[in-house]
Amino acid sequence: MNFDIAEFMPALPEIFVLTMACIVLLVDVCLDQERRVITYVMTQATLVGAALLTVALHTGGRTVVFSGTFVSDPMGDVLKVFIYLVSAMALLYSRQYLIDRQLFKGEYFLLALFAVLGMMVLVSAHSLLTIYLGLELMSLSLYAMVAVDRDNEIATEAAMKYFVLGALASGMLLYGMSMIYGVTATLNLAEIAAYNADISGNEIVMVFGLAFVMVGLAFKLGAVPFHMWIPDVYHGAPTTVTLFIGTAPKIAAFAMLMRLLVEGLGGFYVQWHDMLVVLAVLSIVAGNVIAIAQTNIKRMLAYSTIAHVGFMLLGVLTGSEGGYAAAMFYIIVYALMAAGAFGMVVLLSRAGYEADRIEDFKGLNDRSPWYAFMMLILMLATAGVPPFLGFWAKLSVLQAVVEAGMLWLAVVAVLFSVVGAFYYLRIVKLMYFDKADDHTPITAGIDMRVTLSANGLAILGLGLFPGALMALCASALL
Amino acid sequence: MAIEPVIFWVFSTILVLSAGAVVTVRNPVHAVIFLVLAFFTSAAIWILLEAEFLALALVLVYVGAVMVLFLFVVMMLDINVAPLREGFVRNLWVGIPVLAIVIYELWVVVGEKQFGLDKVAAPAGHAADYSNTKELGGILYTVYMYPFELAAVILLVAIVAAIALTLRRRPQTRYQDPAQQVLVKRGDRVRLVKMAAEKKQ
Amino acid sequence: MISLSHFLVLGAILFSIAMAGIFLNRKNVIILLMAIELLLLAVNMNFVAFSHYHGDTAGQVFVFFILTVAAAEAAIGLAILIVLFRNRRTINVDHLNSLKG
Repeated sequence: MNFDIAEFMPALPEIFVLTMACIVLLVDVCLDQERRVITYVMTQATLVGAALLTVALHTGGRTVVFSGTFVSDPMGDVLKVFIYLVSAMALLYSRQYLIDRQLFKGEYFLLALFAVLGMMVLVSAHSLLTIYLGLELMSLSLYAMVAVDRDNEIATEAAMKYFVLGALASGMLLYGMSMIYGVTATLNLAEIAAYNADISGNEIVMVFGLAFVMVGLAFKLGAVPFHMWIPDVYHGAPTTVTLFIGTAPKIAAFAMLMRLLVEGLGGFYVQWHDMLVVLAVLSIVAGNVIAIAQTNIKRMLAYSTIAHVGFMLLGVLTGSEGGYAAAMFYIIVYALMAAGAFGMVVLLSRAGYEADRIEDFKGLNDRSPWYAFMMLILMLATAGVPPFLGFWAKLSVLQAVVEAGMLWLAVVAVLFSVVGAFYYLRIVKLMYFDKADDHTPITAGIDMRVTLSANGLAILGLGLFPGALMALCASALL
Repeated sequence: MAIEPVIFWVFSTILVLSAGAVVTVRNPVHAVIFLVLAFFTSAAIWILLEAEFLALALVLVYVGAVMVLFLFVVMMLDINVAPLREGFVRNLWVGIPVLAIVIYELWVVVGEKQFGLDKVAAPAGHAADYSNTKELGGILYTVYMYPFELAAVILLVAIVAAIALTLRRRPQTRYQDPAQQVLVKRGDRVRLVKMAAEKKQ
Repeated sequence: MISLSHFLVLGAILFSIAMAGIFLNRKNVIILLMAIELLLLAVNMNFVAFSHYHGDTAGQVFVFFILTVAAAEAAIGLAILIVLFRNRRTINVDHLNSLKG
């Protein structure tokens, strides 16, 4: 085998991020705490650089390199750009929070960069092997990030739970992969898909493997009944880590779902469709109902994540191009909205005080009308109130579901979204109609204020003109 | 009678028993030692499957490094053995029937009906001069170059994470700095003071 | 003769024991970590067996990477365990309940 330099071109963003991560690692070692901000700036610069490279190398075509282990395609490029964007936002929101808690350490940014690299690998994976390695690279970095506040009892307990359940999920996924390999004798997704075309006598083994893969996927996505870790990890982790875990990895998980189920196991649509229906319905129902009972906003948003993942699965289970595009639109929109919502929680917290109870939003309108307005936009958008962004995301998924002839699923989804709207609107009520217990002025750096406002306004703007993003998702999947 | 079935049955029996012991013994140190036995036995079975390189890697990496790490942590944490096992027996009465059913179900899927010798014939053994290591090495650095690099990154993440989580800098710790020691001059340590001789009163 | 299914059933039994270890053991986190190692061993057994009987080295390469990742995973898992023990002075699963699951 000869190495052709052209082979490396599609993977240039990955190579760039890895190189920069190593440089950041070396530079950070030599910095003292006062100049730690250099690490932060370099990390952000890496994300910007990777985004520029990804856009520059975007061809609109599909290239498979490195002996079929890496694929570069429009879907991957779009998802990657949003992963950089959301990660950069997450790190920007984190800066002040971390400084206040003596967590502003090089390791935090380094682990975040490695997690981003893992997501990129996952998005571009074209073999069972690279899916596994990308997933592990992302997960291992995230486990460590949850425990980064190592003197915090709750955070370390959350990290342990996350680790054990995550490792268990990886084990399940691998067992399923071993069955798929056993039947097809290949790890390459395209060859696995080709094998499915002429189903031999080993169909039962393949379905068996698929079931294990599905359990592993459901664990990673946090779909009911494999969601137990989500509320605990979201609650226990430092808010900025929750912000990171709750946004960019969801986009990567969507990519993993598409690569494994649609690209690799497309021939088994009938089987995985049924499994996804169960997961999606349970997630939407349980997520929305349990969220109502929460008093901690991080736990509430965790259950809301579960419900949103259920909605995303609805899009994928239609098995149509339109459904996939709707699911992709949904997950990107979700990541942007979640980044804003967790960003607000970070904004309200300060040294020695986590604003993670729902009551902490009481009377926000008196304290700061502008941020109350931002939170209003975010909550209405997440609840799916028209004409905000979340509404278009839900609408496009529901359209695809109805087109696929699964009307009852759409009805269930709509019913429970209405139930779900309740707990988002409760926060709106607290902000506007209750008196504040706490009158501390909200202080934040100019970068945080500008970005958070931009985040809120972008959601408002995209809600009024959702066509462009939708068209982008639709074109990426062709 | 061929030797392979004997090897397989002996080693697989040991493997299953030691794996069972890992999850049932009271003492975590014993569990680690049974896990070592399980890995060792698996290595023997892998040699039967002509995966010599992996068998050796399993012994070197797992028994040699990972299990020692486990043992180290178990010893360091100094866990109270007795209360850690309460309730396990109660769970066991539910567990064993469930375990039996699960194993039976897996058996149905991966048993002789799907993967018997009539479905997948035993491959002919490799020639005596065949090198498993050479073959794996040949593709690992070419066909699987990209995953190989990723594995390296994962190990780097493990290093960074482990250090970030457990390294404690104690400012009050005293330590020697050889550079400082070497640079010391006589004048830094000894001061000669001129004094007038004391006179007897 | 030994057929492929013998090895697969062996893998399945190991997998089940590991699963039982994870779900039945409500007491000790370090045993959970060991059960996860057993789980990966079961997967590796499958891959090596398939690889041998298919005459395809890809399975062995996958095992190589699983071993690497599992070593990294063990390192991070044990690091988290140590941090947890420093904070709580216990690794008893039942005592890890400050977050209601």
